[in-house]
Amino acid sequence: MNASFRQGAREGFRVFLPVSVGIIPWAVVTGVAMRASGMTVFEAMAMNFIVFAGTAQLGALPLLVAGAPLWLIAVTTFALNLRFLIFSAAIAPAFQGFSLTRRLLSGYILVDGVFAVCAERLLKSDDPHWRWGFYIAPSLWAWAIWQFFGAIGAFGASSIPADWSLEFMTTIALMVMMVPLTSSRPMLVAALVGGLGAVVFQDLPLRLGLIVGMAIGMLAGYLAERGVRGRPA
Amino acid sequence: MTYDIWLWVTFAVMSLITIALRGSFILLGERARLPDGVQRALRYAPASALAALVVPDLLTVGGQFAPFNPKLAAGLVVILVVSRSRNPWLPFILGMATLLLLRKGLDW
Repeated sequence: MNASFRQGAREGFRVFLPVSVGIIPWAVVTGVAMRASGMTVFEAMAMNFIVFAGTAQLGALPLLVAGAPLWLIAVTTFALNLRFLIFSAAIAPAFQGFSLTRRLLSGYILVDGVFAVCAERLLKSDDPHWRWGFYIAPSLWAWAIWQFFGAIGAFGASSIPADWSLEFMTTIALMVMMVPLTSSRPMLVAALVGGLGAVVFQDLPLRLGLIVGMAIGMLAGYLAERGVRGRPA
Repeated sequence: MTYDIWLWVTFAVMSLITIALRGSFILLGERARLPDGVQRALRYAPASALAALVVPDLLTVGGQFAPFNPKLAAGLVVILVVSRSRNPWLPFILGMATLLLLRKGLDW
């Protein structure tokens, strides 16, 4: 706990604090949605603790309710969390020389918001103590907010009437993530093809239509991007 | 509905996949880098996967294609709200309000 660690922790916390407020509705909604899918409060809190990945958790809920096979939930989790592979590749140089324990903890706790706000300054610093503070303090704060407000949602869900179609909160939450992503033409193509593909192929056994939709959507987005870049300006 | 032991197996599998993705390059360190082309293609996975989960719920009722339903109306409200407002609660409030109004108020 030397001075530059504390300095990094303070600065990291300060830049992330305003962003972290945005986690609150997510955590509450995810807590409610997990209960609406039939989980107990304990199961919902355990999922927040063990999985700790809001998008993947919300994406898994309709599949759990439908009794989908485990491998399908695994593939969906993989697709929804693929962005972390890119974040991880981008942020990795900042963890050079750190112990395995720290790297494992960093892997478990990496979230979008901290990456978005902290990655650039993290990569510019030469001081490993400052870097560790600047990364771990906002990350732990994000983790704590997620657990706390997730629990509030999970407990609060019991006081909402059962016939209020709460399961639709999952769909809304997924849309809130999806809509800002589709601001570019290729992203919109990926989403449209993926979504409509999943509808067209929905009668395939084992809910394979979901996988087919994801795959052709991704391919369509990639092809659309090449089309856009290939066109003369 | 209640879940059995498979729910916990599912949590464990989801957790391992997530840690493997988040930790991948952080754990590998200097030994690996992701090629540019792969990075670009992977960027489309989240949008496509999210849509593949959302669109079937909006366009079908009980597994049948039925686009004129309260969920689609509520979904369109959500898209409108998300693209017009920064308020993080509003999509949930107005989306659920639309769905409940149509389902309970108008018995659709």
